[in-house]
Amino acid sequence: MKTVAITGLGCVSGLGLDADACWQALREGKSGIQPLKGFDESDLKVATAAQVPDYRPEKHFQPAQLGLLDRHSQFALLAAREAVANAGLNEAHRKTMAAVIGTGCGGKETDELTYQKLYKEEKRRVHPFTIPRGMPSAASSQVTMDLGIQGPAFTVASACASTNHAIAQAVLMIRAGLAETAIAGGTDAPFTYGLLKSWEALRILSPDTCRPFSRDRKGLVLGEGAGMVVLESLDHAERRGAAIHGLIRGIGMSADASHITDPSPEGAARAMQAALDDAGISADSIGYLNAHGTGTQLNDLSETRAIHAVFGDHAGRLAVSSTKSMHGHALGAAGALELIATVLALKEQMAPPTANFTEPGEGCDLDYVPNQARPLKNARFAMSNAFAFGGLNAVLVVERAA
Amino acid sequence: MVTKSDIEKTLKESIARQKMVSESEITPESTLDELGITSLDSISLVFDIEDQYGIEVPNEELKKLRTVGDIIDGVEKLLAAQNR
Repeated sequence: MKTVAITGLGCVSGLGLDADACWQALREGKSGIQPLKGFDESDLKVATAAQVPDYRPEKHFQPAQLGLLDRHSQFALLAAREAVANAGLNEAHRKTMAAVIGTGCGGKETDELTYQKLYKEEKRRVHPFTIPRGMPSAASSQVTMDLGIQGPAFTVASACASTNHAIAQAVLMIRAGLAETAIAGGTDAPFTYGLLKSWEALRILSPDTCRPFSRDRKGLVLGEGAGMVVLESLDHAERRGAAIHGLIRGIGMSADASHITDPSPEGAARAMQAALDDAGISADSIGYLNAHGTGTQLNDLSETRAIHAVFGDHAGRLAVSSTKSMHGHALGAAGALELIATVLALKEQMAPPTANFTEPGEGCDLDYVPNQARPLKNARFAMSNAFAFGGLNAVLVVERAA
Repeated sequence: MVTKSDIEKTLKESIARQKMVSESEITPESTLDELGITSLDSISLVFDIEDQYGIEVPNEELKKLRTVGDIIDGVEKLLAAQNR
C-alpha cells in the first residue's frame, strides 16, 4: 500500500491569511476570538467570533471573478493557492491531481442574500450567478478552475467532520493509485444573519469566549476560513525531491447511530481506534492529540471519556489540546486548521495549548496543555479528532516526517 | 426617454466591467464570441439591463443574440413596446 505524504500547507483563519500566521498565533496561545463584526442587527445574541482579520476580497481576486465567488469559495482558493505553491507543484502535476474539499455550509451566504431580495425586498428576479455561486460544490469547482486541477474532484459534506472525511477520501484515492497527488481540506463562511440566528437557536454558542475542557466553559465560538493540504504518494514526493511536512498514517471513521446533536463516547472511540488500527500502531505511540474540543458541555466530557476508553493508562500521559480556543469552530474547515496544527506540532515538536483555560471541568481530567505551548518529547505520531453533529466521526493519525 | 446611445453606453460599461476590456474596444459590430462572452456572461449582462430598465428579455430572444448591436436593438424594441 502506498504511503501518503503531506507536502503543502495553506490556510486562512481567524488567526490570519496564511499558515505561518496561524501557526505563530497557535504557538503563542493567542486567540483570534474578537467581538463579532459586520452585523448591526440588535437582536443577535452572538457577541464574539473568530473572523478572518483585515480581509479584503478585492486584494486577492479580479472583480469579474469575485462575482462568481461565494465567501467560502474565496477562502478555499486562497488556502489552495498557498498549499500548491508551498508544495511546489507545477502545471503538469496539477493535470492529474485530485481535489476533495469539505464544507459544512457551502454557499449559504449567496442563497441567503438571494432570499433576502425575494422575500424581504420583494424583488421579482435574482442574479443569474446565484446557482453556480451558491451550490455546495462551488468551492471544489473554483479550486480546480483556478489551479488547472484535472483529476477526480468533488465536495464532501459531514458538518464539522467534513475536512477529515475529505482527507480520508483523498488518502484512499492515493493509496489505490487513482491519483498521485491531491489537494484536500475544508472551507466554511458561516457569518450570515440567518446562520447566526440558527446557531443561536441551538443554545450552544458561548456569550464570550471558547474555553474547551474548563469548568466554566459556556459553549463554542464560531470561526471561518479554509485549510488545504497537498497530499501525494511518498514515492512521488521523494522522486521530485519535495519537502515533506509529515505523513498521513491512519484514517478512521464511524457513525454514532444515536442522536442528531448529542455525541456518543462509543462512536468517537470507535473512530479513534479505527485510525490507530489503520496506522498499525498502538495507542501509546501517540504523543499529541488535537481534540475536537468545541467548548460545549457535552462534547468535552464525551470526548474525554472516549480518549480514556481508547488510550487507557496512556491517556494521563498524553498532551491533548483544543486549538478551537484560538481559531474558533470553523465547522467544515475546522479539521483542516487542526490537521495543519497537528502536522506542525509534530514537525516543530511543540504542542499548541488550549487557550482561555481556567480550571478543569467535572470529568475533564486529562492534560489539556493549558494556555501555554509545550515542547513535545520526541513525539512520532499525533492524532486529530473531528466529531460532527449527527454522529459522523473522522479521525486522522499523522506521523512526523523522517 | 431612453435613447439608443444610452443603452449602448450602459451595455459597454457592463461588458467592460465583466470581461476586463476597455470600452473603446467594444463596438455594436463586435460579436459576443470575439469579446469572450460565454452564455453565462450574456445572461448576466441581460440581467443588468433588465434591472436597470425594468424590462424582461424572453428566453427565445436571448438565444438569437450574436453581436453587441443585437442586444442594443432588442432592448430598444422592448422599451418601445413598453412605452406604447
